[in-house]
Amino acid sequence: MKRALLACAIIVVFASAAMAAGGTARENVGCGLGTMLFKNNADGSSLLQAFQATTNGTFGNQTFGVTSGTSECRQPAKFVKNDRVNEFVFANLDNLAKDIANGKGETLETLAELMGVPAAERDGFARNLKTHFAEIFPGAGVEYAQVVDAIVRVSNEG
Amino acid sequence: MVYGGMRRLLACPLLFALLVPVPAAAGGDPYAAALRADAARLRLSDDRYWDILLHYKAGLFGRTSLIDDRRFFLSPRGKTDPAAELAATIDGFFETGLDEEVSPRCRFPARFAWLSGRLGIDASLLPAPSCPTLDNNLKRIDPRSAALIFAAGHMNAPASMFGHTLLRIDSSYTSPLLSYAVNYAAEIDPTDSGITYAFKGIFGLYPGYYSILPYYEKVKEYHGMDQRDLWEYRLNLPEEDVRRMVLHVMELQGIYSDYFFFGENCSYNLLFLLEAAAPSARLTEKFRRWTVPADTVKVAVAEGLLAPPVYRPSQARKIRHIAAALDDDGIARAAAVIDGREPAAKVAAGDSPEDNKARVLDLASESIQLRYMKRQLGKDEFQKRFLDVLSARSRLGDAAGELPPMPVPERPDEGHGSARASLAAGVRKDAFFLEASVRPAYHDLLDADGGYTPGSQIDFLSAAVRYYPKDDRFRLHRLDLVHIVSLAGRDDFFRPVSWKVYAGIIDKPFPGTPGAAVAVLSPGGGFAWQSKVLGLAYGLVETELDVSDRYGTGYAAGGGASAGVIRQVGRSWKVALQARQIFAVAGDTGRGNSFSAWARNGFRLGRNWALFADAGWEASAGVRFGEAKLSVSRYF
Repeated sequence: MKRALLACAIIVVFASAAMAAGGTARENVGCGLGTMLFKNNADGSSLLQAFQATTNGTFGNQTFGVTSGTSECRQPAKFVKNDRVNEFVFANLDNLAKDIANGKGETLETLAELMGVPAAERDGFARNLKTHFAEIFPGAGVEYAQVVDAIVRVSNEG
Repeated sequence: MVYGGMRRLLACPLLFALLVPVPAAAGGDPYAAALRADAARLRLSDDRYWDILLHYKAGLFGRTSLIDDRRFFLSPRGKTDPAAELAATIDGFFETGLDEEVSPRCRFPARFAWLSGRLGIDASLLPAPSCPTLDNNLKRIDPRSAALIFAAGHMNAPASMFGHTLLRIDSSYTSPLLSYAVNYAAEIDPTDSGITYAFKGIFGLYPGYYSILPYYEKVKEYHGMDQRDLWEYRLNLPEEDVRRMVLHVMELQGIYSDYFFFGENCSYNLLFLLEAAAPSARLTEKFRRWTVPADTVKVAVAEGLLAPPVYRPSQARKIRHIAAALDDDGIARAAAVIDGREPAAKVAAGDSPEDNKARVLDLASESIQLRYMKRQLGKDEFQKRFLDVLSARSRLGDAAGELPPMPVPERPDEGHGSARASLAAGVRKDAFFLEASVRPAYHDLLDADGGYTPGSQIDFLSAAVRYYPKDDRFRLHRLDLVHIVSLAGRDDFFRPVSWKVYAGIIDKPFPGTPGAAVAVLSPGGGFAWQSKVLGLAYGLVETELDVSDRYGTGYAAGGGASAGVIRQVGRSWKVALQARQIFAVAGDTGRGNSFSAWARNGFRLGRNWALFADAGWEASAGVRFGEAKLSVSRYF
């Protein structure tokens, strides 16, 4: 009963605001910077978010993603066996670029752990990648496979 | 619940018939019969752990599972018959030649582990199906420990203010980004419109699914896209408990239960997982009608399940933190880079201190990322500007742009309780009154903000009754069906819209009578700004519809504006000043005009007590009166 009342209250109120907007989910596929799943409507309007928040909703089959696909992209040449490195770099390319440019950060720290860089050598690992930023991210269209290859190459040289 | 289950059952009877294995096929095995007899003797189907694994809850007609997906049950009566389901489960373990997707042993590893322990099942007497998918998933997840994650509300979406919870399963990796997140959510139809989300979400018309995803995906979603802070509470649980919980998560793969925003929501359904890990904790039974996510965290803390949290601020907070360390010139330069009016290399080559340059570029890169996520920037333009800024940044020194640590807000589990009861005394016009009021949920502008979103208010069904001794009468003073206010400050980087909506019944004085009940509906929208001196200052355009037979035409409708400031003074005092004018344009335009000015104070007395002192002046329906009130409130 209480719940029904509450529900009615919300419906009345939201209906009165009457600016219902359609929600769209669009996957921005790609293999480089800016590859991500957009969840909200284009303008991220607060009212739409208010509606969506009532469901904490997910779109589509985002359910049991224990492994995530990188198969639509070109695979790295040198590190193709380590699928966790591949997946991680693919899914976190933007934040990784930011961390490498800064020489520190959680994403970079995580990559070092995945690549098995010993704790004592991680500062040097980060400094080295930062120095070679332009080599790892040579241009706006860079793809994750090139990034993985360049990181491996630069680390082996450094 | 019953309705939802029935609807789906009727919709796919054929599928249902195909998916339920026939128990009779295995019923003949003498060992199966012996195990069933042992289980009956031990009354295992009445065991609390069986309730937890099957999500059974006692109801009017006995125990019923909250899971609505028929595929979750091996017995056709499984949803309502725990004993039949248990017998069917034992028989299921004896089935042979089944694919791993349907083999009960592969699909229900937590049931098998628990029954093995309780019945001392000798696995060598059972068929041993191979479950490669299950094995791979468990190996990949590598469960060692776990954390309960609380996502605080979005600053401008009050419905999200209730928060959200998810679980994080930590592995032998040190970095939490390599952990997996377990989340329960409604699967919404992207073609639905806004109002449909709310309706279906509230009435259980969306299926809810448990999902498991890399935790970094959730961090990207909350930290970046949604701009919500995360609080990570490590669970005080040994590895074997966590493993049991993960086995149960595996059982729920692809299984739906009807999602209800208020009751059986994300947080409520996670409690079953916590109970699967720690069956001695009493969690689900504490939430019967509605489940506020922050309250589930409080209950889990009270049960001793959680360690103190780690705070992961949203990207919006990070942007404001960097901006706070820059002067106006620095912010202007960052804005020029963000808009693409100035190349980042020019900033890096400038002659300002290196720390300053690093902050300008950091502010630019974070903001460019945020704009892209909000789709204010196309992908090509994003890639170009983002890389341009980062490449300039990589040429600055290692320690450049270091900032002091970000201030940590109050923990969500230490905020006030979400229900409130108050007693008050005051004077209206020349009449003394006593008032009692209750608010079932959730937070209002004058309540202490710790653990809540500042500038936000969501009140549901709050009611106040007054007693006027002068003429010995009780009056319903107000009944607020819903009162939501979302005031979000605008600055150089964020331009949110503020809004409010009120629906309820208010006792208003009319000429010749001390009061009459008026049904009021009043939405409004506008802007707010955070200022160091004034606090949060806002202005809203408002509309109002009043319905009562005291109006000549039965109603009055009009529009106007309100403006005010809300300021925190020290840790425990909050002041709000507000003025509001409504001009009636339709209906009874004579009586529909109203003006009010209020000063309100909230004093926090410890976590769950507060004092409020309000004084105001109103003119409504041609009656002018002043009112003052002092109240004491207890939160629950």
